[in-house]
Amino acid sequence: MKLSLTINGVPRSVTADDAGETLLTILRREGYSGVKKGCGAGDCGACAVLLNGRAVNSCLVLAAKADGAEIITVEGLAMGGRLHPLQEAFLDEGAVQCGYCTPGMLMSAIDLLTRNPDPNEHEIREAISGNLCRCTGYAKQIRAIQIAAKRMRDGGDD
Amino acid sequence: MRLRLARTVVRPATLDEAWRAKGEHGDAARFLGGGVDLALLALSDVTTLIDLSGLGLSYIRIQGEHLRLGATTTMTAAIESPLVAAHAQGFLRDVLRKVASPLQRNLATLGGTLARAHPWSDVIPALLVLDAELLLYDGSEKTLTLERFLGERGKSGVPLIAEIHLPGMPEGVRGAFAKFTRTAFDVGMLNVACLGAIEKQKWTGVRIAIGGTPALATRLRAVEEMLEGKPADVDQITSAASAASDAIDVRDDRRASAEYRRTLTRELTARCLLEIAQLPERISP
Repeated sequence: MKLSLTINGVPRSVTADDAGETLLTILRREGYSGVKKGCGAGDCGACAVLLNGRAVNSCLVLAAKADGAEIITVEGLAMGGRLHPLQEAFLDEGAVQCGYCTPGMLMSAIDLLTRNPDPNEHEIREAISGNLCRCTGYAKQIRAIQIAAKRMRDGGDD
Repeated sequence: MRLRLARTVVRPATLDEAWRAKGEHGDAARFLGGGVDLALLALSDVTTLIDLSGLGLSYIRIQGEHLRLGATTTMTAAIESPLVAAHAQGFLRDVLRKVASPLQRNLATLGGTLARAHPWSDVIPALLVLDAELLLYDGSEKTLTLERFLGERGKSGVPLIAEIHLPGMPEGVRGAFAKFTRTAFDVGMLNVACLGAIEKQKWTGVRIAIGGTPALATRLRAVEEMLEGKPADVDQITSAASAASDAIDVRDDRRASAEYRRTLTRELTARCLLEIAQLPERISP
């Protein structure tokens, strides 16, 4: 099955084995290895990408559903050789341990900050509630999202 | 683990085209809303997906007294809608925020949840106490209460869900929802939704639905009637919660025993009613 996708701003034509193949498998095959496979059942959030502007578990998106969609993966966050303010803040705060949950966590944070530039801690916790971190680093990740939000409000890095 | 045989995607533009495609392909075809359950169930006999995204059923609007939600509206869209927030003091919004994760709620549709009708669904008891009706299509349009739709499920094929209607609620009507889960993310062992208002310290229009028993949610009409016109105090809530616990049809499954579910029914019903009555007390064990 032929799919037309816009991945990180670039229109692509990709082939899915069948209409039931998941977006996760397709993206990884196309080289977007920042999209991580964890549980494959919508529980862990490691595979999160933006689908038409909203963060979703790509392991739950069927090829039939993705056709024609605009996809942003973690590879699409850095611009002109500069990391996204969220990525910078994750580095500054030591919010990355093993790193496996980080791409998905970043996509959930982008979804939040796009709609709510000044979230409180509760709203951040709710926004990343579908992203499991097995290094138990939530405190640093929450702080990183707060710092990125502040920098984005103050400085227009994005 | 996937729909290996799904080779064909049909993209109908009208309800009738969607319905006819289903008639043509029968059990080998499934309607595709958010696709969450299809991705998880990975049915091996499905060859055709009927994508409902072209039907224009992603909307939330007020018409007359009714709040109307198109079947392909995502849970997130409902949570973020000012119309849903304004209905029954935001009861449905508050329940939806407790379902799965934002990542899943950005995909999952209200119609998909009702079509699949998992017995542990948190959405179904909430919609039952809101007296939801469904606009269905099976060659022609018809309206059915959600309660009847669930009761008739499996008897004569699954009609296509087009819209969910929620009747307008009088001012002062409040809802409360409680579920008990092993982890915040897990499927509940039991859930309870209650709705009602208190006028001159007395209950009016009380509705109670309990799900995950482990069967599909049902209304507890005998208990609802028992509370009608009674004082909104801790004593009445305690007896209503005990009556619910006696009346509920519970079974053992791998998540919880029947006995445990009875205890949960009593405790969670009490919590919901106390919340609606804005009483800080707990019932005695």
